[in-house]
Amino acid sequence: MYLFSMASLSEEVLLVVKKVRQRKQDGTLYLMAERIAWGPEGKDRFTVSHLYADIRCQKISPDGKAKIQLQLILHTGESTTFHFSNESSALKDRDAAKELLQQLLPKFKKKANKELEEKNRMLQEDPVLFQLYKDLVVSQVISADEFWANRLGDMNNSDPTPYNNKQDVGISGAFLADIRPQTDGCNGLRYNLTADIIESIFRTYPAVKQKYGENVPHNLTEKEFWTRFFQSHYFHRDRINTGTQDIFSECAKQDEKGLKSMVVQGVKNPLVDLLSLEDKTLDEGYGVSTTTPSTSNANRTVKESSNAAIIKRFNHHSAMVLAAGSRKGQAAQMGTRGILTSSSLLLNPFFSLAIEYEDLQRENRLKTVALNLKKSDRYAHGPVPLQSQHYTTSQDIINSVNHIRHEMVNYKPNLTQVLSSTAASSAITALSPGGVLMMTGTQQAINQMIPTEVQGELKHLYAAAGELLRHFWSCFPVNSPFLEEKVMKMKTNLERFQMTKLCPFQEKIQRQYLSTNLTGHLEEMLQTAYSKFHVWQTRRMLRKT
Amino acid sequence: MKLNIDGLLVYFPYDYIYPEQYSYMLELKRTLDAKGHGVLEMPSGTGKTISLLSLIVAYQKAFPLEVTKLIYCSRTVPEIEKVVEELRKLMEFYCKQTGESNNFLALALSSRKNLCIHPEIMHANIVVYSYHYLLDPKIADLVSKELAKKSVVVFDEAHNIDNVCIDSMSVNITRRTLDRCQNNVDTLQNTISKIKETDAAKLKEEYRRLVEGLKEANVARETDVYLANPVLPDEILQEAVPGTIRTAEHFVGFLRRFMEYLKSRLRVHHVVQESTPQFLKDIFEKVCIDRKPLRFCAERLQSLLRTLEIADIADFSAVTLIANFATLVSTYSQGFTIIIEPFEDRTPTIANPVLHFSCMDPSIAIKPVFQRFQSVVITSGTLSPLDIYPRILDFRPVTMASFTMTLARTCLCPLIVGRGNDQVALSSKFETREDFAVIRNYGNLLLEMSAIVPDGIVAFFTSYMYMENIVASWYEQGILENIQRNKLIFIETPDAAETSMALEKYQEACENGRGAILLSVARGKVSEGIDFVHHFGRAVIMFGVPYVYTQSRILKARLEYLRDHFQIRENDFLTFDAMRHAAQCVGRAIRGKTDYGLMIFADKRYARADKRGKLPRWIQEHISDGSLNLTVDEAIQLSKHFLRQMAQPFRQEDQLGLSLLTLEQLESEEVLQKIAKIAHQT
Repeated sequence: MYLFSMASLSEEVLLVVKKVRQRKQDGTLYLMAERIAWGPEGKDRFTVSHLYADIRCQKISPDGKAKIQLQLILHTGESTTFHFSNESSALKDRDAAKELLQQLLPKFKKKANKELEEKNRMLQEDPVLFQLYKDLVVSQVISADEFWANRLGDMNNSDPTPYNNKQDVGISGAFLADIRPQTDGCNGLRYNLTADIIESIFRTYPAVKQKYGENVPHNLTEKEFWTRFFQSHYFHRDRINTGTQDIFSECAKQDEKGLKSMVVQGVKNPLVDLLSLEDKTLDEGYGVSTTTPSTSNANRTVKESSNAAIIKRFNHHSAMVLAAGSRKGQAAQMGTRGILTSSSLLLNPFFSLAIEYEDLQRENRLKTVALNLKKSDRYAHGPVPLQSQHYTTSQDIINSVNHIRHEMVNYKPNLTQVLSSTAASSAITALSPGGVLMMTGTQQAINQMIPTEVQGELKHLYAAAGELLRHFWSCFPVNSPFLEEKVMKMKTNLERFQMTKLCPFQEKIQRQYLSTNLTGHLEEMLQTAYSKFHVWQTRRMLRKT
Repeated sequence: MKLNIDGLLVYFPYDYIYPEQYSYMLELKRTLDAKGHGVLEMPSGTGKTISLLSLIVAYQKAFPLEVTKLIYCSRTVPEIEKVVEELRKLMEFYCKQTGESNNFLALALSSRKNLCIHPEIMHANIVVYSYHYLLDPKIADLVSKELAKKSVVVFDEAHNIDNVCIDSMSVNITRRTLDRCQNNVDTLQNTISKIKETDAAKLKEEYRRLVEGLKEANVARETDVYLANPVLPDEILQEAVPGTIRTAEHFVGFLRRFMEYLKSRLRVHHVVQESTPQFLKDIFEKVCIDRKPLRFCAERLQSLLRTLEIADIADFSAVTLIANFATLVSTYSQGFTIIIEPFEDRTPTIANPVLHFSCMDPSIAIKPVFQRFQSVVITSGTLSPLDIYPRILDFRPVTMASFTMTLARTCLCPLIVGRGNDQVALSSKFETREDFAVIRNYGNLLLEMSAIVPDGIVAFFTSYMYMENIVASWYEQGILENIQRNKLIFIETPDAAETSMALEKYQEACENGRGAILLSVARGKVSEGIDFVHHFGRAVIMFGVPYVYTQSRILKARLEYLRDHFQIRENDFLTFDAMRHAAQCVGRAIRGKTDYGLMIFADKRYARADKRGKLPRWIQEHISDGSLNLTVDEAIQLSKHFLRQMAQPFRQEDQLGLSLLTLEQLESEEVLQKIAKIAHQT
């Protein structure tokens, strides 16, 4: 855990909540501009401190639980729980903290996401790094922060340009589907809402956002609001009748209105305008009415109108999701809307696409670099196991046979330069297994004697040890308190590595009666590091005394 | 480039040409040379329109006395606009090449609001308009009757031409129609009595003209100036209007009697079906209306409306409808049926009587066109099987050909998915329509496709009802939610404006990279009029075989008629009809050789030879034996492979010599031999 001294702080404190317990210790919770921190009572330092950017989400204990708690879950998967213990105002305190966090977290989210994404990308692209991460971080030899400490540095400098133009993230079409209700065991349903989903709902359905603004918190608590939302017919698309007491019935009406106005506005592209598509010349009363089942509303069954409602809602939902992703574009769209006469039809990109035969014209567009695939099959089928490379095509075989045949035709033994038979047989013995020249064979065969699995493990150990040692040696010369602290920590890290990783491995190869010398070099390296550390430590002790 | 098509110099406004365009023009020229009719099938996106225009314009220029006019009929407004644009391009090319200014007059009529006055039509070299201007007798009489005999008529996108013919000759009468008609007749009565007070001479003049008879029209028809009107029977031209309806008052009284009779016929409690002679016999027995005056009804009403100088004919649509019905019912003893239904089948409690007077013989409406014009060309991307059109339209073509699409790469991938992963047979047939296993597997197919197909997917269902049920069921099962994770969902509704909006949003979602799915119905407006080029449709899924709703009495009557008069078996016709709509649906995605798309037929019945054989050749030839009865998983694997291959850059060089020709290549003997194989003669 990081230790920060209060004195060094000049941050703006946004909220202070007293009487908050953490790990059964009383203390005070501070919400600051960029982080949340907690310090035990009577101490002038924080024992818990999280940057907002590190926090993935917050969770609160359900209402009615005896303990009123707030849990922070970090991107690393760790979590910290705060227990609000002020008897009179625990709930209020918790909600205040929650509200503030709710506002603050999304601001940092993007940044965090970007970093996370980058880390994720690095791990995915570099299998060695990923293995290292697994060996060191997942098995808790070092913390994730330490691991990334000197990697993200170059990452941030390397190529910042692609990230400068922030791109708005669209909304998943299925965000409502992601709110899977779970039964809570006592005849009820629980919906899990995240800030993301709420944002999606608000962006897609501004009417709901408006209702939220109107009603929360003075008329309804947030919880009540969402409960009603999920209970409402609005959420269930197949129901048609909305009760009057339902606050969302108005939303449904607004949606309906919005849908209607969109329909009335009509479409810009004449090619999709079904109304003017046909040069309708049949008057009313003429024609064969083959559209037998009538679709007039009067004689539809309940089931049918509910089906029709679903279809309408799907169209509306998709249109809203689409619009939420391109709000900016909409304004421009409105401006250019007008009646398209046949002359402007020509300028219409849809139209030119429809009549042009681009391949019948001589090409005069920009030459682009085409992807040149040598083996399009491999591209189409994805990576193939390496063995398939050993296969030679029949053409190859025929070619080589021809080649050899060709060689053999011209072959003439050079009889003046052959060995004598004794010399030849002694050379054969020398080169057979056990012969003079084959003695080193046992040494070379390490990769044959040791199972590949052990080899792989050894490789990982080397990589991990190398990484740790790199950290260790980079501390020298130790000329700052920070480095001092780090070198101490790295020493313990190395020891922990030896205990948790190296020793079990040694035992394992002993059990398998393999040559024990495998780890000799590793141990040597660790020993060198230890002795360096001892020298440094004794020198420091001497200096101190 | 300038082409030599069988000795004819053709200006073609592009630098390259598709081989099939060349053979199409060749075939077209043969049709014109023979002064006969033709049926030509060529896939959409292979430049059918420009080939037609280039050749016929060149023909007109070379033989101005042989072909005086091109009448180009298409279906939708955008299609008409496209033709005009291509024509403009051709004309510009002519000007550039020959250095002469354009002396060609082309005319497009796209709405009844700006109806053209006929002298202009008379002089235009090319007329582009909707089918109805030629096929619907009510309009043809106004617009097209003076078109020269030596015209070439082209019906593009003609795969539904029989239905257009039938629609233009069929009439439905409801109580509302009769109520409106009643008002019309009252208005007529009032106007007549007013005019009688002020300008009695006018009515007398009309009477005199009617005694003279419709001599004028008769002279015109005999001297071959006019396109015959199928509503106006030959006989009445030689006769005077019968005395019973000659005076205006008598005629109005006659109309009232006829109307009252119709009203009484609508007061039925069970379904009545009768032939036209039966109807005439009944009307004579009940209200003593003779056949003869009935036949003059339409003409007599027109005369009256002219005499009364009524400007807005639209207000009199109801009475015009009744009068047209009277003339039709008394003129044709065959090819029509009368069905009176007291209520809709689904709602037997709500009285809503309708009298359907329905035409069952498409050849009646199109007969004058074939008789009058020297060459009529019926063409479309999907006209298979070719031989059925001459049969149902009753004409003798001199050329019939189906052209395939030459491809440098196989850019279409038709797959027949007959089974789910659980081996459940997939089908939309009636017995398994409600089967959850089928619906679930259909959903699974769409879900899996949504995960692997880039940009747009269009799915078609056999009917709107079927789609509604499946969507509801997918919603309940949570399938739609999962699909939404991959793509946005848009659904066609019965409301055209709503669907237009959904379509536009669908395109927007394809355009901005989000990807979307459009659920739509075969035979709907989308399936007939909207193209999904390139990324707007990378896959089309046809859920089920789109058979027409077979319980309809009108359809049953038509099937019987086809069987008795054209020797077409009911099932053959139904399958033909279903397959042409299926082909239309899946063909929506391929709009050219640079385009590519999957065509998924999700019904095991497609694998049968009688279904598969009715698909256009350019689709059929890409269905391999291995892809006749795939499971969902297998189809997904094949699709993945196909899409990856198609995503590779496709350059002009790849096509040259194979599916795209330069002038030099076109002149080589070897290529010409290859081209000769493209047309599939029948």
